[in-house]
Amino acid sequence: MDAVYDYISVNTFWTILFIVHALLAVALLGALSHQAMSVLMRTRQAAGPAGFVTRFTAVHGPSYATAVCVLWIATFIFGAWIYTKYRIYIRIPLEQDGFWKTQGAFEMKEHLATIGLGLLPIYWYFWKNARNVDYDSARKWLTVTLAAMCWYMFLTGHIVNNVRGFGS
Amino acid sequence: MSTTTQTAAPAQASPLASSTAFRTFATVFAIATPIVYVICEMANWPLFTYHPGTDRLNLGWAPAVKDEGPAMYWYGWIASTLLGAGALGLFAVKLPESATRRIPLALVWIAPLAAVPILIYALRFFWRW
Repeated sequence: MDAVYDYISVNTFWTILFIVHALLAVALLGALSHQAMSVLMRTRQAAGPAGFVTRFTAVHGPSYATAVCVLWIATFIFGAWIYTKYRIYIRIPLEQDGFWKTQGAFEMKEHLATIGLGLLPIYWYFWKNARNVDYDSARKWLTVTLAAMCWYMFLTGHIVNNVRGFGS
Repeated sequence: MSTTTQTAAPAQASPLASSTAFRTFATVFAIATPIVYVICEMANWPLFTYHPGTDRLNLGWAPAVKDEGPAMYWYGWIASTLLGAGALGLFAVKLPESATRRIPLALVWIAPLAAVPILIYALRFFWRW
């Protein structure tokens, strides 16, 4: 890391990592939301031009599967990397200021991220066998579960950043 | 000049996507991950402890050292979970297919959802008003 610090400050380095983590999370959230909505709301052929909801749900789910797995893993790695700084520079002040529920919500986020990691192989398998009707129900609810986890993690990350983010 | 017509080859499905062994492994891995993780978290069984203040690792659980900052167990829980769930998945692959076919696929999303209230309870220290 010392070679990197010759060019950018320590703060800039960790800020870049955090922003990459956040951008990957946005991409993951978008992909999973599209896919979850596509399994929850089967798109019907409309007589007129397709509206926003129809277009939002009319995605080809299987083509998202590998991207979702890669994005989840990449977001996880960046999150786990910056977590060391969170533990020292964010959590300790949160404890001192008594933001217990915020910390608890963040602990839950790390639990869900790990559990989601374990679901990825079967999620990928189900979507790569999207024509197998035996997997339809499990694929649908697993995708919705992952999307719900992702939304929770995204919003919690946002809240923690609001409580003690840049400039605090 | 070649007279053969070149056509795009159909996309090859990944061998993993058609592997019964991978399906069995992935199913058991998905069901076992939340269960093993909850056990590791509640019993506090990290494979290792990381001390971010000093960049030091201890095998298993280790307490925070005075004046050296906090101890982190999450990385160790992840390692314990991946090893435990991975071992169960590999064990399941060795079982006859007639047995593994009976595993309800719905468990892959029910098990993580069932883990949520248990983890919320495990975090009761933080739910202070």
